[in-house]
Amino acid sequence: MANNLKGTVWKAEGYVFAYDIIKQEFWTSALDKEENSKWVMGGVHPDFDQENGFKSNGYSFIVAGHNFAGGGKSIEHVITGLMGAGIKAVIAESFSRLQFRNAINYGLPFITCKGIEAIASTGDELEVDPISGQIKNLSTGKEIQAAPVAPFVAEVAEAGGLISYIQNIIKEGKVDELR
Amino acid sequence: MSGLTLTEKIMAKQSGRDSVRPGELVWADVNSIMTMDYLGKSTFNIFDSLGAKELFDRDKVICVSDHLVPPPTEAFANLLNEWRAIVKAHNITYFYDFGKQGIAHQIMVEDGHVLPGTVSIGTDSHANSYGAVGAVGNAVSVTDAAVAMATGKCWFRVPETVKFHVTGKWQPWVMGKDLSLHIMNMMHWNGDLIYKALEYDGPAMTDLSMGGRISLCNMTVDLGAKNGIVAPDEKTQAYLNGVAKGEWEMVFSDSNAEYEAEYEIDITNVGPVVAKPDNLDDVVNVEKVVGTKLNQIFIGTCTNGRVEDFGIAAAILEGKQVHPDINMLMVPASQTQYLEAMEKGYVSTLVKAGVAIGTSGCAPCFGTHRGVAGDGDVVLSAGNRNMKGRMGSKSAEIYLTSPAVCAASALTGTIADPRDLPMPKNFGVTYGE
Ligand code: SF4
Repeated sequence: MANNLKGTVWKAEGYVFAYDIIKQEFWTSALDKEENSKWVMGGVHPDFDQENGFKSNGYSFIVAGHNFAGGGKSIEHVITGLMGAGIKAVIAESFSRLQFRNAINYGLPFITCKGIEAIASTGDELEVDPISGQIKNLSTGKEIQAAPVAPFVAEVAEAGGLISYIQNIIKEGKVDELR
Repeated sequence: MSGLTLTEKIMAKQSGRDSVRPGELVWADVNSIMTMDYLGKSTFNIFDSLGAKELFDRDKVICVSDHLVPPPTEAFANLLNEWRAIVKAHNITYFYDFGKQGIAHQIMVEDGHVLPGTVSIGTDSHANSYGAVGAVGNAVSVTDAAVAMATGKCWFRVPETVKFHVTGKWQPWVMGKDLSLHIMNMMHWNGDLIYKALEYDGPAMTDLSMGGRISLCNMTVDLGAKNGIVAPDEKTQAYLNGVAKGEWEMVFSDSNAEYEAEYEIDITNVGPVVAKPDNLDDVVNVEKVVGTKLNQIFIGTCTNGRVEDFGIAAAILEGKQVHPDINMLMVPASQTQYLEAMEKGYVSTLVKAGVAIGTSGCAPCFGTHRGVAGDGDVVLSAGNRNMKGRMGSKSAEIYLTSPAVCAASALTGTIADPRDLPMPKNFGVTYGE
């Protein structure tokens, strides 16, 4: 996981449901990053409700309020779709716990940050270090401290997800070292 | 330095640390892992792909048949057979299959697979129920469960804790379920409790039965919370005595623990409540919906399918008849609960009153098993979810409430207030003390 992610932000204007990130018609599709990315965020805004509607904007970050991707759905398409669309991290006041787990298991940083909504707007350039939790808004100069992600989140991302990460741990006989 | 809440303390202990703080991610040792017929096959498939030679502990991977038994369709029968073959191939010690079946969460608690002061996980959302015995119980994905089966560990984000201090005296007919729904009304399902640990304490919690504690912790997942927990006490000790699979210690929160928020509830002022169709948090006092015409009543599920729930229904229906317009189904949460309800005479009382009893398991709770709702049905259920289509037809309406309100309503065919009934002679067999 790169420690200084840079790029532009899309900021949610209201509550973002998992159901709107990937609309129900795509729930049964394969867990393909490329495929899911074409339709991701289709239910969030009419502009995004077309092929590559969200992806074509080239955003790197999503900033959102409480319970990002909530609604009690555990579908992993939410995460693969966002990753396929080029999202490097989602920074929110809080996350739905099912999607928070999925994000980490897939290696997409979901960064919890109180007050992030107040310091970022759509189109701003951000610099984000998930490991330290430092977030800089390069467009406005404002800075904010988020909860740092545990080093293992970075390791999981590097390994390409939890399954391959654990496969490696088991192969190396390092299960006891997991903490 | 401030102290730790109960959930923080358990997470610290299980991850070999002195302290943890909210927001931190830790790998914690899990005491037990539950998987069941519906998702067990995928869980074991992922486990097999991880390259582990064996399960971290074959006594600690608990397998249960609950959603699919007895199989109502050919497809379910086939899935069950595949599931059985997988469990057998993995040489699992505790397999609660048809005949010994029950809702996984109930079995995890009643058979002592969840130990106070530890963390247990399951591949189903209501694994939050495990908090009833002072454990951290959490629902995880099949991937997480498979990883835990191989490593004995699961990663967690340490949640902020919100405390509910519950005082006062439980009024007759008021149950743990009423407190659950009362809190749903206070906090809303998509409100401030998202991802939080909920810690329940106070004298009214000490008075609450183990069954009531399970109902309460069970529905914390429906509040969006990470887990719900009640500190262990003498009742917990008595409950686990003889069934606990392993040693355990009492763990409590520190007196200087830091909570994100604290709420006071005086249970004296909480009466029977009902959640209206479609929204869990559209909760009203029963008086507001008294008289609503019903045609189905269901008592069961991991929320309210225990002996005390059968007991309160039997106390209300003893010597009386279910209204002729009502189909009333009761399903025990497990074979153990069924047997005890039978031995206490509740089952015969209920059958005489015209209640149909189903085979232990999830039954129609999730809408695919026997007892589902048809078009336009109006159901009063002691279960946990009332969204459109949950129990079958999308045009059915589901009101959620306690077993006491369900049983009282069975007499009139409309939603009724149990407090209007004369106090039955055998009252007191049920909850609380
Ligand atoms: S009884 Fe209902 S809520 Fe409980 S585990 Fe079964 S289907 Fe889920």
